[in-house]
Amino acid sequence: MTREISVTVNGTVYRKQVPVRLLLVDFIRDVLDLTGTHQGCTYEGVCGACTVQLNGEAVKSCMMLAVQADGQQVTTIEGLARNGVLHPLQKAFKEHHGLQCGFCTSGMIMNAEEFLRTNPRPTEDEIRHALIGNICRCTGYQGIVAAVSAAAEEMSAAGTPAKSGS
Amino acid sequence: MTTVEKGWIGARYTRREDLRLLTGKGQYLADLRVVRDPLVVKFVRSSVAHALIKSIDVSAAAKLPGVVAVLTGADIRDKIRPLPTPSTVPLLPGHYPTHWPLAVERVRFHGEPVAAVVATDKYTAEDAVELVQVEYEDLPPITDPEKALLADSPLVHPDIGTNVMFSMVLTGGLTEAEQAANKARVDSIFATADVVVKERFYGHRCGVMPLETRGAVASFDPEAGLRVWMSTQRPHIDRLVFSELFDIPQNQVQVSAPRDQGGAFGVKAPVYREPIMIVYLTKLLGRPVQWIETREEHLMAVSQERDQIHELELAADKQGRILGLRDRVIADNGDSCEGVFWGFIMPFYGAALVPNAYHIPDCDISITAVATNKSALSPARAFGSLPGRFALDRAIDMLARKVGKDAADVRRMNLITQLPCNIATGVHYDSGNFVGVWDKLVQHIDVPRFRQEQRAARAEGRYIGLGFGVAVHASGVASEALVPMEGQPGYGSATLKMDSSGTVTVFEGDAPQGQGHETTMAQIAAEILGLDPEDVTVRVGDTNNTPFASGTFGARGGSYTASAVAMAAKAIRDKIVKVVAHDHKLEPDPAHFRFEAKSIWHKDRAEALTSMAGVCNRIIMKPLDLPAGADASLEHTAFFEAKEPMMAFSAHAAIVEADPASGEFRILRYISSEDVGRVINPLIVEGQVRGGVVQGLSNAMFEEFIYDENGQQLTSSMENYMLANAADVPNIEILHADTPCEHTPLGTRGMGEGVPGPVPGALCNAICDALEPFGIEIRDLPVRPDRVWALLQAARARAAG
Repeated sequence: MTREISVTVNGTVYRKQVPVRLLLVDFIRDVLDLTGTHQGCTYEGVCGACTVQLNGEAVKSCMMLAVQADGQQVTTIEGLARNGVLHPLQKAFKEHHGLQCGFCTSGMIMNAEEFLRTNPRPTEDEIRHALIGNICRCTGYQGIVAAVSAAAEEMSAAGTPAKSGS
Repeated sequence: MTTVEKGWIGARYTRREDLRLLTGKGQYLADLRVVRDPLVVKFVRSSVAHALIKSIDVSAAAKLPGVVAVLTGADIRDKIRPLPTPSTVPLLPGHYPTHWPLAVERVRFHGEPVAAVVATDKYTAEDAVELVQVEYEDLPPITDPEKALLADSPLVHPDIGTNVMFSMVLTGGLTEAEQAANKARVDSIFATADVVVKERFYGHRCGVMPLETRGAVASFDPEAGLRVWMSTQRPHIDRLVFSELFDIPQNQVQVSAPRDQGGAFGVKAPVYREPIMIVYLTKLLGRPVQWIETREEHLMAVSQERDQIHELELAADKQGRILGLRDRVIADNGDSCEGVFWGFIMPFYGAALVPNAYHIPDCDISITAVATNKSALSPARAFGSLPGRFALDRAIDMLARKVGKDAADVRRMNLITQLPCNIATGVHYDSGNFVGVWDKLVQHIDVPRFRQEQRAARAEGRYIGLGFGVAVHASGVASEALVPMEGQPGYGSATLKMDSSGTVTVFEGDAPQGQGHETTMAQIAAEILGLDPEDVTVRVGDTNNTPFASGTFGARGGSYTASAVAMAAKAIRDKIVKVVAHDHKLEPDPAHFRFEAKSIWHKDRAEALTSMAGVCNRIIMKPLDLPAGADASLEHTAFFEAKEPMMAFSAHAAIVEADPASGEFRILRYISSEDVGRVINPLIVEGQVRGGVVQGLSNAMFEEFIYDENGQQLTSSMENYMLANAADVPNIEILHADTPCEHTPLGTRGMGEGVPGPVPGALCNAICDALEPFGIEIRDLPVRPDRVWALLQAARARAAG
């Protein structure tokens, strides 16, 4: 059984006929070929590597069907840098060695981006708790936490307007 | 030896890999679009631990639209050569069970592949897997390695006739007579020692679990040969094995590890069943085939290591000086079907490293690896050594209590001070400064001050504690050790090619999975050739354009591969010097020339003689009037072979606060003091240490593969195989010692692999130290509040008499 859906992904409207049981993560990766969104736990909703934003809210795209995103706005890691300018989080992850293999990074950043919109001046403890839905196996989290903290400072200092996920 | 001024090597240079990974442009295996519409493979896995396969009904699955093929063990047993094959079997006296990619006649663990479904898409393949009906005739499950050693135990491999897959005495010598004499000597030391500690420790089954699972994509063309893309640490070994199994000449097999891999930590090193099946299927069906492992499969089939019992004894004098050590190691080897490693290579190596950084000349150590109905042990960071580290470092704290001394002092007294040395198991330690690294750690902590704080806290009813753990771990393994053991080389290799515009490409046959080789190898080549790292592109993991390489594992990169890159860069530099000297009528003494700022300089000239681009263009594109013996080649392949095995050392300390009422504990500080030789990039070294410590903490506190009494694996999802998250772990403080390694051209050592090893010992020692007034001793991993609580209850019951 298939259905036609219309989903806005990173600002582009995609109208596609998809199986109703197709997961959102597979729609993003296999139908739209946006492979920056990863699958680490294969549809268990635990690892967080597939985190994207739905209408600006961080969601695990392996826990949703593509048809549920019909008419909605999705932002993936590919949509975060605008006009070739990296988001402060992307810059800070590089600066603070917040990634090694990079497999968790997209989900980590998509989650952190929403978090910083809701809490622009977090403490270290708040950052650590905000990231519990994203598993990293390489870094020991320290570089990630430092990067989120640095990005928060940069964004606050620059008065970066909170970017909506859409 | 190349001497290099301060420059790119040692610089805190941010990684060249990062930009693509941060913008979603990484190319991991599942992201590659290298073949058109691959068929998708899913495996049907055994739902029971031990059984005869009565029948497999694939008819319903085969009829499902979109299903192309369903194969079982019976279909392939005469079509695929089973393992072991010459290149997948070590040269050690063990048992190497014959096995095929799919179970033949019987299953030996919950999760073993019994059938493969091939379909046009993964959703259909999943549906078809559900339709395959397997009828089993249960056999008694063998889940306890000690019971499996009893004479009346059923056998995992009846054809082998024993459950002992490997056993060895590691001390005394090679002959039984030498070993018996050694044993007698150790026995006499124990008989007369002032103090004996005799304990049984258990390091539980847990592992590494990279965030990217395993996988393979393959295509075959009778003319072009076999092409395999796979998530692997060892593409050249994989090529060898595929060639051997399928009778395809090696030069017709190309294995590529993707440029980006989502971690491995050891688990992507062995030769497993599934990629062999993928290759077979692409040959059989004449179409490209893809398999991406699910997390459930990963947790059922691989990533399981540790799982060792240590019956460990220490003999010491009244001061706490260790005089002798006995250790009987029993490893739960699982079904033992795993090419190259066979489960027991890890505990064997771990047993060889039991004496760790302590001076204990008289040891009696043996290892027995026992087959059970579980997944075979697969390599994990701290390769086989984690349970032994835990056991000895815990035993030393128990010894310290017996002799009434601070555990820090007893450790210091027993550290090895004379290097190089051979430890009792014959393992060679090359160089370093263990005591210096240790002293740095204890000075940083200020142990006397901590003891004051501890007393003050106790007076207030708060219980804080300090614990230590240490590790000597290998920086790669030299051919000298690896060839006799595994029949495989250990050298590092790299090809450097300069082009006519003066930029460099490094070709490396290893397959990094997050270690940052594109950055560190570029730093080395840039430093030696006077370029920027941006001028160096590093290509990894493709057997078609790289020299034979052993792979990325065991901390080989910073020692072996980095040395090969340095040697190749140096060779190209020497050649350029010859041409430049010839062109400028100068003496061709390399010491007179400097490579700096993308140009070549002479000691007597203020101006640069030529730019790198200029001289490369001159040599490659205008090869006229070259000095005698020179040609147009600016390419060099170097092989680095270490004369001595190299070791790195680390000492860890944990400070915790524990609650004697609930058994809960919290890590207040964690400090690592490391000596990794000359550091290529501190950012990357620190990342390796932090990540390794957190893996060790996660292993110690959360992760545990649990099998019930029927051999059912209960932890095949990340919901119940728990990993540490950001809120579970502290920041890690790092101290560097940087004693240059004498055996590499740059003084570097590989590091990273062994980091988790000392963590559980340091953590548990800290918890026991915090709760010292209550008299608990942790002997089993994992350590969790409920277990600490149970120990406290038992101690209170004992005290109440």
